[in-house]
Amino acid sequence: MNKKRLFLIVSLLTLASMILSACAPQATQAPQEPQVVVETQVVRETQIVEQTKVVEKIVEVTPTPGPNPEAVIEGVEPNAEISLWTFWLSPTFDDYIQSTIARFESTYPGVKVTWADHQATFLDDYRNSFAAGTAPDVANLSDTEGWVREFATKDLLLSMSDNLPQSVIDQYFPGLFNLQLVNGKSYQVPWYQAISIELINNQIYGEKAGLKVEDFPTKYYDLAPLCKTIKEKTGTLCDIRLTVTDLLRDMAYQGGVKVMTDGKFTFDSPEAATWLQWYVDLVKANLVDKTALVTDQDRVGLEIFTSGKAAFYQTGPQLIREVRASNPGLYGYLAAVPLPAGVSGATAPTSMAMSVKKDTKFPKASLALAVFFTNPRSQLEFSKIVGIYPSTPASYDDPFFTVKPVAIEESVRPLAKDLISVQADIMPEIPQFQEVNQIVLDAVQQALFNNVPAQQALSDAVAKANALIGK
Amino acid sequence: MTKKFSLTPYFFLAPALLVIAVFIFYPIAAVVYYSFTDYDIVTPPQWIGLQNYIKLVQDPTFWKALTNSFIYLIATPTVIVLSIVLAIVVNRNLRGIHMFRALYYIPAVSGSIAIGIAWRWMFDAQGGLLNGFLVWLGVLKEPLQWLAEPAYTLPIAMLLTIWMGLGYYALIFLAGLQNIPEELYDAALIDGCNNFQKHWYISLPGLRPQIVFVGVISSLAAIEVFNEVFILTNRTGGVLDSALTMVFYIWRQAFRFSDAGYGSALAIVLLVITLAFSIINIRVQERGLETD
Repeated sequence: MNKKRLFLIVSLLTLASMILSACAPQATQAPQEPQVVVETQVVRETQIVEQTKVVEKIVEVTPTPGPNPEAVIEGVEPNAEISLWTFWLSPTFDDYIQSTIARFESTYPGVKVTWADHQATFLDDYRNSFAAGTAPDVANLSDTEGWVREFATKDLLLSMSDNLPQSVIDQYFPGLFNLQLVNGKSYQVPWYQAISIELINNQIYGEKAGLKVEDFPTKYYDLAPLCKTIKEKTGTLCDIRLTVTDLLRDMAYQGGVKVMTDGKFTFDSPEAATWLQWYVDLVKANLVDKTALVTDQDRVGLEIFTSGKAAFYQTGPQLIREVRASNPGLYGYLAAVPLPAGVSGATAPTSMAMSVKKDTKFPKASLALAVFFTNPRSQLEFSKIVGIYPSTPASYDDPFFTVKPVAIEESVRPLAKDLISVQADIMPEIPQFQEVNQIVLDAVQQALFNNVPAQQALSDAVAKANALIGK
Repeated sequence: MTKKFSLTPYFFLAPALLVIAVFIFYPIAAVVYYSFTDYDIVTPPQWIGLQNYIKLVQDPTFWKALTNSFIYLIATPTVIVLSIVLAIVVNRNLRGIHMFRALYYIPAVSGSIAIGIAWRWMFDAQGGLLNGFLVWLGVLKEPLQWLAEPAYTLPIAMLLTIWMGLGYYALIFLAGLQNIPEELYDAALIDGCNNFQKHWYISLPGLRPQIVFVGVISSLAAIEVFNEVFILTNRTGGVLDSALTMVFYIWRQAFRFSDAGYGSALAIVLLVITLAFSIINIRVQERGLETD
């Protein structure tokens, strides 16, 4: 049985081997038959291929006005680094200034602005900076204090009339762009405006003196009887300030005095004598705080009012925040009324401006910055932070200016556009301004404190001033 | 015999000389130059020769400022007398005397601006301490505007200067008094001197070097006064320039009216005056020491 099984296994293995070998591929290739190969030939046209060269070239990209409506100055110098000085805005408005600068830098890519705020010593610092050759490219100058004219007459500022496109000039109220003209040209773009008001301390004015806010005088010269009443009823002195840095301006607006005629000084007219005598009478009757009357710093009068020692004070609504900060108890007693009109009927602008130094390395960038800070959008944003008023009519299109005011700081807001639009400089250009003002100041002080008759003091001053300018 | 030249001393002197040259000699030279120019700080100076000096002689405000500065010198003998008295008062061993000495010295270490503001409040027309007191006493019917009255502004500024200097000068005299031998006072007592005579015949002669020293520095300080006037008059110089002093006038011309050329001429005049003062004082001091 074992033999049979062994035979069967061997037979099956042999069969399987035969089957497997029949199915397996041939181990060696069979001899090939001759093949016919058909070749396809493609004929191409000859092509000239230019080799690309890598050329290094600096392409200057000038930040030109693009779609950004605030980029209104063309040809701004690339990579300009310019400096800006503001007057007494830090730290309260740091965020506003910095964000406006950031927006400016993104509007004019590549331009960098360095900002510094100067306060009580601004004017000295600015003068010294010219002497040291480090004057800022753009500076926030006061029109009201005559700073623009001072530096423009020394040929240190860039003429805005000559260097700005008409479309930019047209964005400002004309009366404000044409402030402080020198040889018929403007050296500033008007920035924020203050609308002077009479701020009333009702604790003295209403409660102690028994007066009504609505009866506050509407004529400047009517302030004298009011001061008398207040002194008699409360023992309080009036806090009135002469603009000792520009007395001819006070004469012109308050007294309706024509200070120059045909190039000669004429501020000894009967109107001028009336104006000076009005102050003399106030001083002689001991109705005014004499320290405030003849100081050259508005803050002296403001401090007297803020400390609750005055019934009223002429100031801007933007300074109410200082009253609130320094004497919160007084804030609740405040009322505001329009400024009494002077004989001229005109309202003197209280204007801050932006000016550009003449020898700036980057005139276009500097002009762009001055215009940017004073454009309708920037000024509108500033107005929303503090009670200042734009010099650009377009800013007033915002509903912000039509909303009914709530706080006293906002009381003149709905009237602001009308009031600002009619403000204008009625002053002629005064030759040798500083010296002439000193002559007038001496005359005014002689009349106020040394018993020199008003008419005589003014006539002497006119003679001196005309001699000074060779007339 | 010839001395050998050595660079070493000059080497040691150089840093100090350099500082003095930069901060003293150069500014003086510059001011001398500017005094002959029309210079408004912001534009380059223009040579005008002696015009500023001619203008100065004809300028009544200059004479007023000069007069006021000389009037201010009254502060010098006043402060000397008062500080000697104060030094004598505090030169004794009483309980708490150190505290008094420190209190009198406080004005000397306080800022003149802060003191000026405090004084302005004291003389304020409305709510001022002095007015309140005088009205309460019945001396005044109504408050007086002290700092706006031409007759009072300069005396108030002088009073402030005296008050501020009193503690400092008293300290100098106190040191002098403590150097006077006690035996001299004992001898005077034995000789029958009363208190006044004791100080008249012993303390005062003993304090001669301190008196001369205080005389020099306080007169120079008086003639160069600025801060007190600046603060008390709200930087106006007072109504009718009643408190206008030379340094204030220099500042006003140079920095308010931008007439640095004229301001420089005024400064040169003041420099000559202070130099003359210093020389006179030093001569007096030398003569006094020789006599001693």
